[in-house]
Formats: sequence, C-alpha cells, structure tokens
Amino acid sequence: MMYKKGKIWTTESRLAYLLLLPAAVFLIVFMFYPIVFVILMSFFKVNKLGNLVGFFGTGNFESLLKLPEFGSVIVRSCLWTALAVAAKTAIGLVIALLLNVEFKGRKLARTLIIIPWASSIPISAMLWQWTYNNDFGLLNYTLRFLGFNPPVWLAFPRSAFFANMWVDIWCGIPFMALVFLAGLQAIPQELYEAAEVDGATSLFKFRFVTLPLLGGVLTVATLLSILWTFNDFNVIYILTKGGPANSTDILITYIYKYAFQYIKFGPSAAMAVITFVILMVVSIFYARNYFREGVQ
Amino acid sequence: MRSRGTYYLVYPLVIFLLLVLLFPFFVMISTSLKPVKEVYANPPHWIPQTIHLTNFSDIWGKYPLGSYFKNSFIVAVGTTIINMLLCIPAAYAIARLRFVGKNFMMYLFLIVQMFSPLIVVISLFKVISRLGLLDNLLALILTNGVFTLAFAIWLLSGYFRGIPKEIEEAALIDGCSRFQTITRILLPIAMPGVVTTVIYTFISAWNEFMFALTFITSMEKRPLTLGLYNFIGRWAVQWQYLMAAAFLALIPVVILFMLIERELVQGLAGGAVKG
Repeated sequence: MMYKKGKIWTTESRLAYLLLLPAAVFLIVFMFYPIVFVILMSFFKVNKLGNLVGFFGTGNFESLLKLPEFGSVIVRSCLWTALAVAAKTAIGLVIALLLNVEFKGRKLARTLIIIPWASSIPISAMLWQWTYNNDFGLLNYTLRFLGFNPPVWLAFPRSAFFANMWVDIWCGIPFMALVFLAGLQAIPQELYEAAEVDGATSLFKFRFVTLPLLGGVLTVATLLSILWTFNDFNVIYILTKGGPANSTDILITYIYKYAFQYIKFGPSAAMAVITFVILMVVSIFYARNYFREGVQ
Repeated sequence: MRSRGTYYLVYPLVIFLLLVLLFPFFVMISTSLKPVKEVYANPPHWIPQTIHLTNFSDIWGKYPLGSYFKNSFIVAVGTTIINMLLCIPAAYAIARLRFVGKNFMMYLFLIVQMFSPLIVVISLFKVISRLGLLDNLLALILTNGVFTLAFAIWLLSGYFRGIPKEIEEAALIDGCSRFQTITRILLPIAMPGVVTTVIYTFISAWNEFMFALTFITSMEKRPLTLGLYNFIGRWAVQWQYLMAAAFLALIPVVILFMLIERELVQGLAGGAVKG
C-alpha cells in the first residue's frame, strides 16, 4: 500500500467498500454466520430442531472420542486422501509427460482426457455405479474376459473403499494432467538443450530439470487436490452412502450422516469444526504457495 | 524426445489411458442404446446388438425429466445472475481501486473458495428454513451463488487486472461516470473473462448435488442431479433410461467446460502455469 494508514476513508476506498458490500453481505449471511453457528453448536447441546438448548462444553467432542468407529473414520479419511492424491499425482504426471511429446492426434487426446473432469461428479458416480454392477456391468465382464477374478466391488468393505477411491481418482486425474502439462510447457526448451549438450540422459533430464522446475506447480496442485479429495462427498454418498456398514465413510460423509440421518446435530457440528480446522490449515498452505508461485 | 522409438511407447500408452478414462462414458452410451432385455443380459454385450434409440424419447414420458431439466436450468441461470451481480462490482473494486485491507481480502477469497459447504450445511439448513426457503429453488440459487462467489471474484478480478487501465482513466477524465466506464469500456473488453466466470458458475450450479439433496424435498422441484439420483432409489433401476438421461444431462456441461478449462487451470494453479 502506497498511502498512509490514516486515510481509510478516501473517496476511492469508500467506493471500493461500497462495491464490495453486496458480496460481503451474502458471504456473511450464507457462509460466515453459518460457520460461527456451527462452532457454537459444537459446544452446545442441540435439539432435533437444531436449536441450542444448553452449554455442553467439550461434551460433543468427548462423545465423538467415545464412538468406536470415529477413530477409524479419521484414519480412513487420511488414508483416502493420501492414497487418492498420490495416485492422481502419479497418473496425472504420466499423462502430462505423454501429452508433452509431439505426436499426431495430441490435441484430440488432450480434449478426450479432459472429459472426466468436464463431466458432473454426481452423474459420473452414477455411471460408475452401473459400470461396477457385478452381473450386468461391463467392468467385471471385461475384467473376467481378460482373465482376472474381480470382486463384487460395492458389496464388501475393502473393495467398496477402493472402488469409491478409484472414482474419486478418476475424476481428479484430468485436472492434475492439465496443470502438469501447462507447467511442463512453461519450462524453457533451452534448459533441455543445455542438458543434452552435456550428454544428459532422459532420466537425468527428468530428475534434474523437469522435476525441480515443476516443483511449484506440483505443490499447488497437490494441495488443491488434497482439499478436493478430502471434501469428496458426492462420490461416496452416491456409490455406497458410506456402506456397507459405515465401512466407506470418511469425515465429510459422516458429518452428513450424523446430521441428517441420525439427527444428532451436536456431534455432527463437532465433526464439522474438526474438519474446518483441518481444511483451514491446508487452505492457508495452498494460498501461500499460490501467491509465491504467482509472484514469480 | 521425438525419435521413432518414443512413438511406439507413446501411442499404446495414450490409447490405454484413454480407454481407462473414457470407459464409463462408453458404458453410458452403450447402455443408453440397449433395449431392456439386453441391459439385463448375462453375459452383457459391449456393443448393443440392436440399436434402441427409443430410450431417448421414452424417458421424457416415464420420468419428470422435463421438469428436472427446467429446475436445473432455473437454478443455474439464477445462480449465475446473482453471482455476476455481486461479483462484477467486487472484482472491479479489487482490480481497480485502492483500499485498506485489499491483500487480506484477496487472501480470504482464496481460502474461502476451498471451504466445503459440508462443514456449514447443518447451520445453513437452519438459515434456509428460517428464511422459509426449504423446498424452494431459491435456496439452491442463493447457496450456490455464495459458494461460487469467491472463486468467481478471484477469476474476474484477475481478468480486469490484465486490462490496461489507461483507457478507463481517459474516459473518466472525459466525463464518463464510474458506472459508464465499467459497463461501456471495461466489461466489453473483459468479455472473455466474464464469459469464463459465467460458464464456471453455471456449470457449478448445474452439477451441484448436496444442497439439492438437503434443501429440496418434493419431486417436482428436483434438479437433474438429484432427479437422476432418485432413479436409482427405485426398487428396479431402469439403467438404460438413467444412462440416456445422463447422456443428455452431460452434453451441455461437457461442451461448456471445454471452452473454459484453460482459464480454470490457470485460475486455480496460479502464475506457475502461465505458459
């Protein structure tokens, strides 16, 4: 800021605040006030209508800790996020490297690869639900045709977890691939030429030119992907609703289940607050890295 | 990287990845063309043996698909209008005016766009019911409008900043009002950015599921995502109909999305990808 601190109310800034006011009002009513209210709810006893009926201290949080499945939901959320983001990053990077090679039909391939991202996630989840169908679905038929022995994906805890995760990964791959591709194309060609003059192998160039220069993009994209993956409600809710027997619930679907299926708003609000804190921390990391990259 | 040997590696890999990534869409199209008998044939066929195009006409009579489309359209258009009315002035202020707290606000917008609506849905439910908007499409318009707002402001202010402000300053000196410089000069020049923001908002609202699931109870007010989801809720899912409907629901968003994907990548990943 080039001007002195005393001048908050210049004509210019008054106009600015006026122009920001409508957006601010809506954000406050539909986003900030609900956040504050959820935080309040988490420290209160809440009745079935969602009204606060008495201060509860950390009672809601303690009741969560007493739930036997809460620990496993937390562990599962972390596992879900870590594995899915790792897979998206790896597959996205491979696709980006492939699309960075000049070949006939590259533009078409790039366009086709975007489609899973362009598609609506709820509808994609429904497509996969049918694809996973054991008797009539084409996935298991194809896998059997190829000589594999696939499970009834959505019927058992472990296979359902990975089936859900694969849909989440599948939705997230195109974004990763496109971001990495843009990052690769921003790397100056001269660096590769210089490395070639020095007799560098492809692997060496990848390790010592590509990866370091892709670092910033990698960080920002991964952080963003962590946020999205952690928040993926649609896929799990539509494919399995957290079942069989809560075995595919992650924090974000569990919050919903607690609030609107079990009608236990207090513990649900406590979980929302825990989630909020986690997301807040990752978001701040993301924002900082975003700005750092933006400045360069 | 351009030797012949690479091609032999690149083509099979690209084709394999495309097969994997597009598999469910292949399933969708194949199923949507099958008659019921073939949908529930075991073993299934990859390619329908008889092409049964009537699925696409049958769904309109069998399900309230028309009203699902209409509701989604109302929600998406309404969300876009609210969003733009709030976003254009805010983005202008951030891009063009000096005020205390600007950096803080930009930082806040960047963080806020990452909030999952799930963390507030419990209390938002109370807000919506107190406003008397439960089972009302306006509830979806308002909530979608707000939850797309931060990113929309972010995208649009970036666009505005990329346009040199000298023209507007000259117009101001010549006696144009601020309002005129925005509507007659800035917005026409920034049209590609405005279009990107509009499409982004429209798609987000069109695809939204969780708010609809929470706030909409009556069948005739369901938007597409919720309506299609309720196909599955029935005891016998008519998958050929669901796939045909999904196909029709996806076409507009996929095409719209293709128009803006480059801007989205840049808006989300920052200066690092400005190729």
